[in-house]
Amino acid sequence: MDFHLIAQLIRLRYKLLWAKTRTRNGKIALFMAGYLLLVPAIFLFAAVGAGGGMAAVRSGKAERIAQGVLTGLFACATIISVVLGFGLNEVFSDAELRRYPLNARERLFARHFTGIADPFWFLFLALDLGLAFGLYLLGLGNLLLGTVAVLLLFVCNYFAARLVGLALDRIMRKKAGSVLLPIVFMLFCFLPGMAMPMLKKHPAASGVVLRILGFTPSFGAGSLMVRTDAQAFYGFALIVCWLLGLAAAVAALERRPPKATARTVQAKEIRWDSRFHQAGARFGSQYGPLVEHWLRFYFRCRRFKLSYLMSLPLMPFLLLFWSRQMGRGANPFAAAVGVFAVSGLAPAGAFVINQYGYVGSGFRRFFLFPIDPAATLRASSYTLMGLSSVYVVLAALAWALFAPVPYDVRGMTMLVASGVFGLFAFHGAGLWTTLYGPRRSDPNRTMGNDLSLAGNLLMMGGMFSLLFVPMMVGQIDKRIFSPEHWWVAVILAALAACFYFASLRRATAILPARRERILAVVEGRA
Amino acid sequence: MDAIQIRNLVKYYGTIRAVDGLSLRVAAGTMFGFLGPNGSGKSTTIGCLTGLLDPTAGEIEILGKRFDADSAGLKRRMGVMPETLGLFEPLRAHEFLAFVGRMYGLDESAVRKRVTELLDALELTDASKTLSEYSTGMRKRVAFAAAVIHSPEVLFLDEPFESIDPAGVALMKQWLHTFIEQGRTVFMTSHVLETVERLCQEVAIIATPGKLVWQGDITTFGREGAIVYDGKEFDALEPLFLHLTGERHVELKWL
Ligand SMILES: Nc1ncnc2c1ncn2[C@@H]1O[C@H](COP(=O)(O)OP(=O)(O)OP(=O)(O)O)[C@@H](O)[C@H]1O
Ligand SMILES: [Mg+2]
Repeated sequence: MDFHLIAQLIRLRYKLLWAKTRTRNGKIALFMAGYLLLVPAIFLFAAVGAGGGMAAVRSGKAERIAQGVLTGLFACATIISVVLGFGLNEVFSDAELRRYPLNARERLFARHFTGIADPFWFLFLALDLGLAFGLYLLGLGNLLLGTVAVLLLFVCNYFAARLVGLALDRIMRKKAGSVLLPIVFMLFCFLPGMAMPMLKKHPAASGVVLRILGFTPSFGAGSLMVRTDAQAFYGFALIVCWLLGLAAAVAALERRPPKATARTVQAKEIRWDSRFHQAGARFGSQYGPLVEHWLRFYFRCRRFKLSYLMSLPLMPFLLLFWSRQMGRGANPFAAAVGVFAVSGLAPAGAFVINQYGYVGSGFRRFFLFPIDPAATLRASSYTLMGLSSVYVVLAALAWALFAPVPYDVRGMTMLVASGVFGLFAFHGAGLWTTLYGPRRSDPNRTMGNDLSLAGNLLMMGGMFSLLFVPMMVGQIDKRIFSPEHWWVAVILAALAACFYFASLRRATAILPARRERILAVVEGRA
Repeated sequence: MDAIQIRNLVKYYGTIRAVDGLSLRVAAGTMFGFLGPNGSGKSTTIGCLTGLLDPTAGEIEILGKRFDADSAGLKRRMGVMPETLGLFEPLRAHEFLAFVGRMYGLDESAVRKRVTELLDALELTDASKTLSEYSTGMRKRVAFAAAVIHSPEVLFLDEPFESIDPAGVALMKQWLHTFIEQGRTVFMTSHVLETVERLCQEVAIIATPGKLVWQGDITTFGREGAIVYDGKEFDALEPLFLHLTGERHVELKWL
């Protein structure tokens, strides 16, 4: 095994990373890292704090707490990396590594070493280690065993995220995948939501759940951290089994690349009257062909289909589950307002903030055609706006049918207005990141995060603040989100619309001046 | 009349100088070869000529018009095959070409007729493949089709023949000859000097960074057998090109 070369590759990976952050955006990168650190940190504090921390440790519940925190971190890391794409970026693909004098086994190791040596995973490693060290300071467990537990769990976590990512990618490649995936995802989302109240009603059931959870790697790691008896050995054996199993599953999936669906060899006839053509035809001769083009382009991108369809179950889930959870004592509207606001953001977000990033060298056509290039941005923005607004309508339907409060016109107006607010505000801001933070992105990649820093900030900042700010405000004053204040939302929506149209005007005027820069980025020369 | 006129064209990318005071005239109805070593600024010049890039300084006139006056009107009369091809990868060939045709203002029936004929002629009739699934040469063919679909008056081709098979090249040459016979103009870059020599009437050779070193009629090779430059006789384009741009002999002992 050529460890020297593998170490060189890891160094190269960090050089590339550093070269990227050394630019003007470097400072924002650090800010982002801090932001990311915050989310699990909050989670950690919440988990430890809620249980009465120290007291619980002293009263001998340390094992449960360690297991709970580890499970939370494990789930958090897996979900963040799969949904937001951190830590799953393929720095070197197998094909790229073939350039180096490595054999198949070495390539496999090199790929996973460079994959796991990601700042994102180190963040979680640090948090896990922090827990082990904290427990040691409290006089519990053995530091060496704790470190072993953390390292093993950490590798498990990496493989678990990889496995989920690979499986999702594979499902999306299937024709039925685009239908299947939202359903799987929906079940995954609804399950804890449905299970919680059940468990509360039947305390006996929670024993069963705990027993099942006892077989997870994070529970094993928790035991290994805190105990030194036979239970610790059991924990050790458990994680090792998981580690081997997950690694084997990842290896098996990677070894058998998804089969390309066999297509008929016979040349197909050209079909002129496609759905896209019919849809575009409604927009007149100036915008029609452009709208048709963007619609077709977006629905051909695997990435777009994935995010657009995944939002289908996510939105009603967030809306109903969340507003119901918060509903006890709290105002359900506080949660619903946030969900409505993000419903125009989630389905096509990565495309809204980087509208030219996926077209590659096709971008230059827009400036060779005898048209005003601004029309291409307008058409793209309108198309994405139209596609995203479907979700505001869906959210309104879901609310009308299943809301935990009686139907009320003012309440509905308030919610729809906040959806319109999110739609206009986000799509308006997305025009600016399209111009000033473009990034060359692969339209077919479903794993990994390849947005620019500005794009990431807007996307995640927008998502988190739209979801959580209303809830926090709602906690402070329960009456703020009462349907009586519907007009506030309407005014905000109108302001956001003004912002969008002003942005569109300004952005389309600036586009010609930005074109050379965007061209260099999307063609991969910057 | 001159189809293309360039006066003192200068183009900087940030601080990198790509073209430095280039002046050229191309008469209408000419097949014009624009040659130079790698990185000498050919594609950059074409970018400026087609309105894609803003020149840092200098003036450009195409068909007697400038871009600032009526850029859309001018672009409608030009066809471009860019170096990077400018394809939308997830589209199929007919979808891409139809989009291009519509953007150039062709009506729907003309679009369908021309796309079908082009794809037939270029042997790209399998409508099930997307452009990203095409081979390098097939992608080039599509880009060529997109450059000519609206019957332009001036055609800019950036390395059109590289990686296209002999039959494809023969067909393209035949089309280009017809094109020229109708008094229209072709401005192309290429590194295949034999092809340029047989196809083009006039050639300009530039050196890094974007400086004209020679321009002349190369039909002289056919008529008089040689071109005299610097007191030397050159019997083909290749030795002339090498003489102008600097031939290098480097030996690598370990190779
Ligand atoms: N987007 C860009 N940013 C910075 N420099 C660039 C950019 N595009 C080209 N250059 C530089 O400009 C110079 C000319 O490049 P250009 O692509 O015009 O050369 P070329 O003559 O077409 O070369 P080739 O024969 O290899 O196609 C080169 O030095 C190149 O490095
Ligand atoms: Mg070039």
